[in-house]
Amino acid sequence: MLKSIALGAAGILLAGTALADTPTLTVSTYGIAQDDFRKILFDPFEAECGCKVVVDIGNNAERLAKIAANPDGYDLVAFSDFGALDAANRGLLQPIDTSKLSNYDKLYDSAKDPVGNKMAVGYTIYATSIVYRTDKFGTVNSWADLLSDKAKGQVAVPNITTTQGPLILHMLAEAAGDKDVSYANEIQKLADAKGDIVTFYERSSQLTTLFAQEEIWLAPTGRYAWGNLLKTGLPLAWATPKEGQTGGMNVLSMVKGSKHPDLALKLIDKWLSTETQTALGNALVDSPANKEARLEADKGALMTYGADQINSISFIKPADLLAHQEQWIKDWNAKISQ
Amino acid sequence: MFEKRSTGVLLTLPALVFLLVLFVLPVMVLLTRSLALPEGWGLGNFASFFSSELNRTIFWRTLRLAATVTAACVVLGYITAFGVLSYTKERRGMLTGFVILPLMISPVARTYAWIVVLGRTGFLNAVLTSLGIIDSPLRLLFTETAVFIGLVQLFLPLMVLPLLSALENLPRDVIPAAQLLGASRLMVLFKVILPLTREGLVVGGTLVFTGSVTAYITPAILGGSKVMMLETLLYQRINVANDLTGAAVIAVILVITTLAANKLLRRLATPRQRQEAR
Repeated sequence: MLKSIALGAAGILLAGTALADTPTLTVSTYGIAQDDFRKILFDPFEAECGCKVVVDIGNNAERLAKIAANPDGYDLVAFSDFGALDAANRGLLQPIDTSKLSNYDKLYDSAKDPVGNKMAVGYTIYATSIVYRTDKFGTVNSWADLLSDKAKGQVAVPNITTTQGPLILHMLAEAAGDKDVSYANEIQKLADAKGDIVTFYERSSQLTTLFAQEEIWLAPTGRYAWGNLLKTGLPLAWATPKEGQTGGMNVLSMVKGSKHPDLALKLIDKWLSTETQTALGNALVDSPANKEARLEADKGALMTYGADQINSISFIKPADLLAHQEQWIKDWNAKISQ
Repeated sequence: MFEKRSTGVLLTLPALVFLLVLFVLPVMVLLTRSLALPEGWGLGNFASFFSSELNRTIFWRTLRLAATVTAACVVLGYITAFGVLSYTKERRGMLTGFVILPLMISPVARTYAWIVVLGRTGFLNAVLTSLGIIDSPLRLLFTETAVFIGLVQLFLPLMVLPLLSALENLPRDVIPAAQLLGASRLMVLFKVILPLTREGLVVGGTLVFTGSVTAYITPAILGGSKVMMLETLLYQRINVANDLTGAAVIAVILVITTLAANKLLRRLATPRQRQEAR
């Protein structure tokens, strides 16, 4: 009896020591599709590295505040490109040694150093374009069509506070050949058309209802909403405007205070691998930034997939967004939200 | 009640600690942040908030909408409560159940349902068009009217419940007594019913006003950024602009507004003699 108790106690002690020795990697990321991420990425990675991956979820702003408050508590962070630049400017990130990433060369060029100074690598890219009713609207040829006479009273535009909002200003400026990133002209144009714009939407999920209820015929949105919009069964098309598409990128960065930088680098490498990127794409979680990822045809049709799609994207510079966002919101609120 | 005073103190301790840590302390932090200036302390953040014309517009819009929603809920609340009380006791239970039913549905689902009802191809426009009242569908969604309708539906139960309880406690014979003494229907309402049910009115009014001022989902979905309110502005400050001080200022303004509304409602509901006696 005594012997078995002693053995049991020794076992518990040993297990405790083993647990204490297991390195823990803390990843700060978005809340979406965590089950898929666990299955496709984190569980296999834990088995390979003999470590534990703990995930802290939230949106850009929340997580930036958390990392600033506790810079030693995180190893790896997933942000939008401008979120990463913001964090880098606050001195919260460290450069990534891309020579140690075996999958780095497989990335699309735009994903290789999106923020500058090797502070981030892109792991997913999404296109943003205009979705429209082919039976009601005909064809969308340009971003300027959003404010055409035909679109009056039939169009929804993303609010400036959404990720899509600034992208629309960027493309309206492209369509007008306007190089001024204060976007004052574009905000004024939207303000003048305010009465003809059904709503400035907050969430892409609203669009499904708006299209289904025949409130709108066209709206700009990210490719991630495309699958759900198709489920409405309406005759919808994804526009290829002559100015090209716009879009956004989410990136991975290493936190400066990371206690396990080597493990963080390994996880980044696995995240960018062809295998992971293909699996995440086929699960409709994230469009691949790895150009060797091959998606199933029906899945690829719903994602931002292939060199043609990715290379047609005109990104807004993260530095421009950071420098001007506050001014855009102010200007927008003053002219549109009055 | 307790033999030892210390027993009572000990029993209230958990609730006291809970309130202190999870309510008083966060409110103090909020207040401190809104008063902190680069060069010390003061009301500078509030002055700069109200110096913006947009902020003033949003502030007045929020107050106006909350006040009209409260007024509409008072009128509809009394009608509903009287309606429920005109039934037998057994029926009343069932009808009260219907009144609180909307509270059991997620506000997001309820608000999306309004999109279906108020939309161009929605129920309301279909009825109005088929009756020949309008030729082409009205644009109701994403207007102040849509937010008003959404908020009234959302908060009406919070007005009906306290009014029901207040009216149930109203002595049965006061209304016939007033009528026998020659009071008109309006006089009965303003001189008898309102004063005697004022507690319910204050509770319901405060709940509806506070709810309307602090509602986020309904203004965000039914109004959009064309109808911004303080709560949607607060969301913007914190989630997009990462401006914690700006958000704290708005939060403090919201707290002060609701406290002031409660005080005002209490004052309005207290009979003049009692106010003078104080």
